[in-house]
Amino acid sequence: MNFLAMTPLQAALLGAVTAMAVIAMYLLKLRHRRVVVSSSILWTRVLDERHAHSLWERLRKFISILIAVTIALLLALALARPQITWLTGSDEGVVIVLDTSATMATRMSDGRTRWQHAVDEARALLNSGGATTEFRVLDTAGRAAFSPTTNRNEASDMIGQLRPQAGAARFPEVTEQGSTVYFISDGVSISEAPAAVKRISVFEEANNVGITAFDIRSIPSTPLGYEAYLEVQNFGPRSEAVGITLTAGTGQTIAKSVSLASGETLQDVFDLSRFEGGAIRASIVSDDDDMAADDLAFGYLPVKRRTRTLLVTRGNNYLESLLKLDSHVELLKTDPAGYGENPDIDVYIFDRFAPAKAPARPALVIGAPAGATGAAWLREARGVVQKPEITTWAEDHPIMQYVSVHDLSIERAARIDASNLTVIAASNQTPLIVASENPKWVMLTFDLQSSDFPLQLGFPVFVENVLSWFGREQLAVHQAIGTVEVPMKDAQIQTAEGTAVDSQTVAGRTIFEAPEPGLYSATSGDTRIQIAVNLGNKAFSNVNSSVFTDERAAVSAPNWLRRELWFYMLFAAILLISVEWFTYHRRVTL
Amino acid sequence: MSTNAALFDDEFLKKLDYLNIISKRLFAGQLRAERRTRKRGAGMEFADYRSYVAGDDFRYLDWKAYLRLNKLIMRLFEEEEDLPIYFFVDSSESMEYGNPSKLDYARRVAAALCYIGLANLDRVNVISFADNVKSELPPLRGKGRIFRVFRFLTDIVPGGATNARDSFKTYCTEGRRRGLAVVVSDFLDPAGFEKAMDVLRHFRHDIFVIHIASHEEMNPVLKGELLLVDAENRAAREVTVTPGLLTAYRAEYTRFCEQLEQYCSRYQLGYVRTVTDYPFEELILKVFRQGRFIK
Repeated sequence: MNFLAMTPLQAALLGAVTAMAVIAMYLLKLRHRRVVVSSSILWTRVLDERHAHSLWERLRKFISILIAVTIALLLALALARPQITWLTGSDEGVVIVLDTSATMATRMSDGRTRWQHAVDEARALLNSGGATTEFRVLDTAGRAAFSPTTNRNEASDMIGQLRPQAGAARFPEVTEQGSTVYFISDGVSISEAPAAVKRISVFEEANNVGITAFDIRSIPSTPLGYEAYLEVQNFGPRSEAVGITLTAGTGQTIAKSVSLASGETLQDVFDLSRFEGGAIRASIVSDDDDMAADDLAFGYLPVKRRTRTLLVTRGNNYLESLLKLDSHVELLKTDPAGYGENPDIDVYIFDRFAPAKAPARPALVIGAPAGATGAAWLREARGVVQKPEITTWAEDHPIMQYVSVHDLSIERAARIDASNLTVIAASNQTPLIVASENPKWVMLTFDLQSSDFPLQLGFPVFVENVLSWFGREQLAVHQAIGTVEVPMKDAQIQTAEGTAVDSQTVAGRTIFEAPEPGLYSATSGDTRIQIAVNLGNKAFSNVNSSVFTDERAAVSAPNWLRRELWFYMLFAAILLISVEWFTYHRRVTL
Repeated sequence: MSTNAALFDDEFLKKLDYLNIISKRLFAGQLRAERRTRKRGAGMEFADYRSYVAGDDFRYLDWKAYLRLNKLIMRLFEEEEDLPIYFFVDSSESMEYGNPSKLDYARRVAAALCYIGLANLDRVNVISFADNVKSELPPLRGKGRIFRVFRFLTDIVPGGATNARDSFKTYCTEGRRRGLAVVVSDFLDPAGFEKAMDVLRHFRHDIFVIHIASHEEMNPVLKGELLLVDAENRAAREVTVTPGLLTAYRAEYTRFCEQLEQYCSRYQLGYVRTVTDYPFEELILKVFRQGRFIK
């Protein structure tokens, strides 16, 4: 036994003084009131008879003092907050790290998931803690922002709030010094943990056939042609017959059945030429599958329509060739003198020219017009910067996807004021690529002839991205299950069925939770992005790759008492006082 | 003294007169001081015959019988004499107990019975005893002596332990005539009441027992941790008085009373038990109804 509020010596002194005080007071209390009776003859007969026949009469005084001393000691020692390890456990801290990776959703032979077993183990740990044990609950997704608590129910509620989810998993940093750290996991996603951590495994071999990759891409040789790439792997210990189905939102379907041996991977491409645009759902069905999260995958097939593009230029072979080769573009060309707005045009591209009035449709302006051109909707060039070097660029902006500009060489560029504009790329001296949301336009402050941008591999991609950003439907952005970040500010998120999803904007990006595979759309103003959220990760689907060592024996048995010992001592003292009061008034005790 | 004097006030005297009338009505037809005793002697009433033995008084020979039977036969007559009544009043310390005290009650009862005895021309003796005979009133006769009785009873000072056996033995061995012994006591005698009563029986007295108890004694109102002190011998004992103990005590007291009553019944002694708040005149009537006090 040790004491939390004082040293053992102090507690012993307190107990001794209390006991002595009670005994002294008890002896004082036992001074009897003097009463004269006519004769003690009859009293003596009665008392002799009772004393002779009652063991209680002989022990009564001793027991009465014992009860009084016990009550006093219970109260006094309760102040010292005693602790008996085998009864209430020790007061060490306990950190419970729960693996919340996707594989924890794998079903086990008893029909329950690894996660449910992990929750049971975690709650058993709560029960094994001491009355003063401080619990902290952490997860491998880094989302559990719970404060340490000594309240088991609170800790249990914390555990109940956690769910397995796809996404990056790592063993969290444990800052509690001297705490016992338990890691409850199947050991698939995270097999490594600090040596001092006690591991509790909930792993059991399972069957799983999962979609490890799904993508929709255009067919370069076919205008407006698209194909779906699908990768399916059998992670189970035996062969599985797998039914594969690709379904469009319009009801068109492609189905296929394959047999996959243990560990075998199917990589297949499906032609989606006859599919209308919209959501594409890939699903697999096998006889024995213990993990459902990787049986579905989603993609987005853009609506097949070419963009009517008017190129206004005095002549630019690079640009003309590129746009002519682009199967998504229906190119019209004119010189600046022949420019006039046309309602049939989807996008304008102005090469070293800018009209005085902003067109009604989005525009890509290449080369900032020098001096006062009358194009008030653009930014006026205030000088020239020679050989600017690109120092920063917004990689996550849609028009910069798959575009590398770090080695771009520019002879000169116009110096402009980019206030209230989105700077896509810039040198130290001037912005080089800027974008405006409303009206929608993108401007390069350098012309193609004074740079090697047309010769860069990323240039066709850049043009394609710009045209897509201007409104043409594009392929879906791929994201993993879990927290999804969209490079748009204050975007409205919807599921494929049109249900709104809660989201928030952090640092100019919209963030929402996607707990399961699905196709989401993010809309902000005129811009809409399709987001295909899939598990699509071999590490998550390979549910049998655990090398985890179970250290379940390290978990101590549940303790009898859930609260600190002083609570029970106080309760016992109150109980004894009640008993003493009852017996005293009936003269059973003294 | 003033308190004791109040015992025998005018009210008390009126009650005595009333009791005297009642007693005369109850025992009408009997002559005063005409109590036939078993003693054969010079009375007027023929009792029996017996053979002459040497030394007998010739005056009582039945000459007619001698002529018929040629045998000397003596005529025996019942001797008539007044009855000695001995009032033994317990004045031990225990009699001071109760409110009113048992001794006060005993004084009144003894005074009333003395008055009736004196009025019947009986020879009345009053003895105060505790651990021995403390004082005695010489034999009195006649109603006019009642005030001496009052004075004697008033002057009794309670004190000492009870030892009735020695007290009775001391008194009876001084050549007293047999008579009616009225014992007024609480009978809380450490040596036991039986031995004391045996002494009186041994001297062949008619015995009348008036057992005086107090409510405080019969149903004590005690509770908690007490040091019980015996009023007579000052012996102390620590006691935790519980309801159970009180119940046991009451049962013991009842058993004690029953033992006393059974003793009296066994030896055909007169017995009356009373408590101190019981009207003493009622008690006297109860004594009369027993028919032992006045014959």
